[in-house]
Amino acid sequence: MKKIHLLYIVPLVLLAACKPNIDEFAPSKGNADFSSFVAVGDSWTSGFADGSLYISGQEYSFPNIMNGQFKKAGGGDFLQPLMLDEYGIGLATGIPKPKLEMGFHPDCKGVVGLVPAYADVPVNMDNLNPLNTGIHYDNISTPGLKTFYMGVPGMNQLNPYYKRFASEGAATMNDEIPLAAPTFFSLWLGSYDALAYAIAGGADPMNPVTTKEVFAGSLQQTLAALTATGAKGVMANIPDVTDFPFFHTIPYNALPLDQASADALNAGYAQVNAIIKGLGRTDTIHFKSGANAVIIADATLPWGFRQVKPTEFLLLSLPQDSLKCAGWGSQKPIPGQYVLDEAEIAITKNAVDEYNSQINLLIKDLPDVALVNMYTIMKEITETGLVFNHVNINARFVTGNFYSTDGLNPTPLGSAVIAHYFIKTINASFQANIPQVIVSEFPAVKLP
Amino acid sequence: MKNKFTLIFALCLWSVATLGGGYQVRLQGHKQTGFGLIGTPFARDASSIFYNPGSLAFYEGKFSISAGASGIFSNVLFQMQGMDYQARTDNPTGTPFYGYVSYKFKDMIAIGVGVYTPFGSTTKWDDNWAGRYLIRDIKLSAIYIQPTIAYNYKDKFGIGAGFVYATGSVELNKALPYSPDSKVNLSGKADNFGFNAGLFFKPTEKLNIGVDYRSEISMDLEAGDATFTVPVALQTMVPDTNYFDASLPLPANLDFGIAYQVNDKLTLAAEVNWIIWSSYESLDFTFENNPELLNSENPREYKDTWIPRIGGEYKLNDIFTLRAGAYFDPSPASEEYFTPETVTLNTIAFTLGASITPLKGLDIDISYLELHGLEAEKNYSPDNFAGTYKTAAFIPGIGLSYRF
Repeated sequence: MKKIHLLYIVPLVLLAACKPNIDEFAPSKGNADFSSFVAVGDSWTSGFADGSLYISGQEYSFPNIMNGQFKKAGGGDFLQPLMLDEYGIGLATGIPKPKLEMGFHPDCKGVVGLVPAYADVPVNMDNLNPLNTGIHYDNISTPGLKTFYMGVPGMNQLNPYYKRFASEGAATMNDEIPLAAPTFFSLWLGSYDALAYAIAGGADPMNPVTTKEVFAGSLQQTLAALTATGAKGVMANIPDVTDFPFFHTIPYNALPLDQASADALNAGYAQVNAIIKGLGRTDTIHFKSGANAVIIADATLPWGFRQVKPTEFLLLSLPQDSLKCAGWGSQKPIPGQYVLDEAEIAITKNAVDEYNSQINLLIKDLPDVALVNMYTIMKEITETGLVFNHVNINARFVTGNFYSTDGLNPTPLGSAVIAHYFIKTINASFQANIPQVIVSEFPAVKLP
Repeated sequence: MKNKFTLIFALCLWSVATLGGGYQVRLQGHKQTGFGLIGTPFARDASSIFYNPGSLAFYEGKFSISAGASGIFSNVLFQMQGMDYQARTDNPTGTPFYGYVSYKFKDMIAIGVGVYTPFGSTTKWDDNWAGRYLIRDIKLSAIYIQPTIAYNYKDKFGIGAGFVYATGSVELNKALPYSPDSKVNLSGKADNFGFNAGLFFKPTEKLNIGVDYRSEISMDLEAGDATFTVPVALQTMVPDTNYFDASLPLPANLDFGIAYQVNDKLTLAAEVNWIIWSSYESLDFTFENNPELLNSENPREYKDTWIPRIGGEYKLNDIFTLRAGAYFDPSPASEEYFTPETVTLNTIAFTLGASITPLKGLDIDISYLELHGLEAEKNYSPDNFAGTYKTAAFIPGIGLSYRF
């Protein structure tokens, strides 16, 4: 009798042994309410990537990734004004373009290299047609949005991306906020108040850095709209936009020369150098065999140009073929719109610092708004890099996994990193337990 | 009853072979396995070749032959830190085996040879699991061949030693974070030499004491095959086929055991094993082509462990002998460098065993070992791969032993 009893127990023990269990993650919303999540922001919030706004980029926007996690703790749907196709439209160059893709392309000398290039498809202008205006979208963001655009009446006629989803009866973009009725929000706006200036090489009179007063006043209005009905939320501060790979991919000494070419250029600049010396100055132009600092335009100098300093940035928008085949940087100075010089770098960085001081002041009066310190997080990405499940994340162009092929906006993996840190702040600030995203599951730059 | 067992085996077929202590598998005799894996203070049969060559010349009879195998059914569960993500391993059954033969001259000197598998690990995660950039699957196995000689001094004192030839192989697969299809397969073989030496005392008829030392054997793999699958854009940097060197230590063991025969029926024993895992500092891969880019140093920083064991044996009658035992096998893995390729947790183990002796000198040995790896939160910090692991295994085994 006893023996039989034992024999029945043994299989039960075996079953228990072969399948261990660990308590599963228990999501909770803490003291926040994610039932209607609304995101306000710029390109990064909109899901703009690879120089274009397109469907999968939008689906990988960091607020959409976050909402996917919120759904596990009482979150609802997150309506985004999706484009019509996978190539979308980018307006950064002033001419509508599809997205950038990595590919093998010959340069002006016929040398094939792996470079980003606009996809070889016609742009579908229907992408900019207005969507159903009866819907109030939860992702209130557009590429390149600045803080003060939120309060400008008639923005639906000025901003083709906003025109697509502008609600009837919303005089400004801020007016979209009560229509979306947030119970929880994310606000990450203000990067372009400095970045638009820097992208233009400090040379676009239409894009000065926003003053800190306008910046703070505008954000305050947007925050007031977001918190008007008691919604809680998170707000991120402004990263050092001069760290983006857009400013660090083309080296200052992008001019390789042999001795003969260097000699020829030195001979050509002998007259100018004589003038410079005649003026009692030492910043003469000199080339040597090897890598040389390129010549850039500098309107502050009487003779109008100089060699770029190692601490100054050549922008990713600089046409490579002009550099390689049209004598840019050697025989002709590179125009200022492709260079961020020392003074312009200082202006940009100073603006970011001022904005972040303003954000600290604004958020002090808002106990239900938590700060996501993206400035510090993105400094870490730039300076030391991060690693998630063996996948390295840093600020290097293409290989760093964080930035997409435009050098300014995140890859899906980059957006997942951002979502990770937003969720981290939300969990810490609202006693919530939102499950984290698995960053390493998201794609980075697609290589051929 | 047989059908029930079959069913349970089938239910557990997704399991994997990962045992308590690193990638060591001490299943070299079912009499010992059932007895808490205690073998050093015994002179049972030719299996002394592994457990303690010092006691090899003490068994009854002239010839001894012993062989057996086990089936390892186990399962690793992983819960990623801060996420609603769990993963389980999924693997074919591990099958360690042993075989020994020995012959005794004049009740004083014994010679023998053993073939056994003291190290091995098979861990297979799902191809798409979240840790695929660390490991998808790894299969590690080593076979030891050990000719041995032993001397028995007046049935009081024994000494024995064996020369060990070890041959091993490893194959591992992991995904690479370059594209959804990027991956690498690494495989290779290695062999090397070592030794196994032991001492055996019988101060009284009832008391046995044994000490055994098995040397470390370093598996130095040279020119293993590396096969990479990467996007065209990376093929100049990461060639499709490459060769690599790597080295994995199979650590030294020092065992000390004591057995006491309480009466005609009951024997109790205790043993401690010192496993010198600290030699497993790092798993480094050196590649022949593009070493600057591909070489990798992967810290492991294992620490030495002490395994305490207890067990007992009860001789029911001339036909049936029953055994039971238990031990605690601490994890040798470092807190900071705990990888999902070898999930080794602090493990509590229980053993059961029996021998059936249908005729004098012939034993049918069965054993059952159950392992519970205690739930613990671990991190592989170089990759920022953190989560909670828990393991379980059950290992039935059967063998035959014949002395005459």
